[in-house]
Amino acid sequence: MIRRLAAFAMAITLMTGGFASAWDPVEQEPEPFPPPDAPTPDPDAFIIPAGLYYVTDTYVADVTTSYGATTTYSTTTVHESTGTYARVLGNVDTGASSAFDGMAFNGRGALTDGRALAGTYYENFVLTASGYVPVSIVFFRDDSETRRSASVPSPWPGATAATTISAPGTTAVPPPALTTPAPSVVPQFPTMPPTPIVPGTPIVPGTPIAPVDPVLRAGVALAPDGPTLPSAEVLRGRSIQFWPRAFANDVVVPIRSWRLVSVWPDQISASSGSLEPLTAQWIRMPEPDVRWSLRFEITTEAAPRALLEAQITVTVRSPALID
Amino acid sequence: MTGDDGGTAAATTVVMLPLLLVVLTGALELGVLRAVASRVVSAADLATIVAVNDQDHGELARTGTLRLAADAAVAAREYFARNLSSTAPALALSPADIAASADIATFPAAPSVDPRTGVRYDHPTLRLIASVPVRTPGFAALLMPAVTTITIRAASSPR
Repeated sequence: MIRRLAAFAMAITLMTGGFASAWDPVEQEPEPFPPPDAPTPDPDAFIIPAGLYYVTDTYVADVTTSYGATTTYSTTTVHESTGTYARVLGNVDTGASSAFDGMAFNGRGALTDGRALAGTYYENFVLTASGYVPVSIVFFRDDSETRRSASVPSPWPGATAATTISAPGTTAVPPPALTTPAPSVVPQFPTMPPTPIVPGTPIVPGTPIAPVDPVLRAGVALAPDGPTLPSAEVLRGRSIQFWPRAFANDVVVPIRSWRLVSVWPDQISASSGSLEPLTAQWIRMPEPDVRWSLRFEITTEAAPRALLEAQITVTVRSPALID
Repeated sequence: MTGDDGGTAAATTVVMLPLLLVVLTGALELGVLRAVASRVVSAADLATIVAVNDQDHGELARTGTLRLAADAAVAAREYFARNLSSTAPALALSPADIAASADIATFPAAPSVDPRTGVRYDHPTLRLIASVPVRTPGFAALLMPAVTTITIRAASSPR
């Protein structure tokens, strides 16, 4: 009975049913916007060019100096930072060609015989949002020439020294568009007599002077800015600070390191150091008339390879009654 | 010993007893005075040593030589008073008064000669001379001064 009723209901349902025109709203919508592509960084943009450094000395002008029969080609700079970066492209010898010839905004220049000057090519960069962008190339001249003595008279008497300064870009190394041409300046030095240089003779302009190494000396002080002392008295049991100090031409230079190479006091803070002093303490009272000699080996920032010696003699004393 | 001898001994004792008491009292008082004087001298010695132990660090950094601090005399006077405090009951004045009246001199440069004592100092020296009044009741009982003043001297230097 139940089966019959179910079959009858199914038959009725199938007979009265029809096709529905269904509408799928989702089907008609356009495809959603694809997710925005993440900005892919330029693989080359933030690659720091090899040898890049921050510019602290900026190109000012090309300088040509004549002294007697010798003409020197050089470049002047000013110690300032323009927020740019640079790297060395390469050195080039006199007369040699370079792949960067003609690319420098200040040119390369040539000797009187037509050969190109020796020097160094630098490439300048500015840091932008997309990375280090090259902006210009500059050539730093470093050359000289001497005319044949047969065709040039002796520089004395009547020799003159002249300097020519030409600056295609006087403001900064990069970019050349920001630079302004500068006129050439030719200062004339007075004519000098052929006087040999002897000790005590004032140095005159144009006189070639060999570079002189600074006179280095070292000493030991009892204060960070105190004078260096050959000897000192200390009280037994007191902590005393010994400051190794170094001077180049009597000007204080930073200490790179120091090392105590002599016998040690009873207590020391360290046997070597750099910026910190040696703190020492004598606990035992030495024999009468016995003095301690503290010797240091010091290296400085001015001459890291130079090993300086400093010494101070110490007399240990203690408060005592007098009869 | 006979009965006559016993009477003689009693009479002798009666006669000599006051003399014995005087001698005994004087000896005891001298002993006490000597002990007090020793403690006062120690107080002065320690005060000078403490003062000499405080050196002028600036001068040491400049020249490498020990030199008495500018307030060495003040420090010596202060510590002298502190050191006397343990002996205060035996003193006729307060330790502060005694220290205040002390003659304290510094000789920062060497060699130098103390104009008061004529002593030559080969090192920077601090010298203290003080007159210390000490109570002596035993002497007072013997009709002697009730206060005895002792003068002490102390000097110290880094050697």
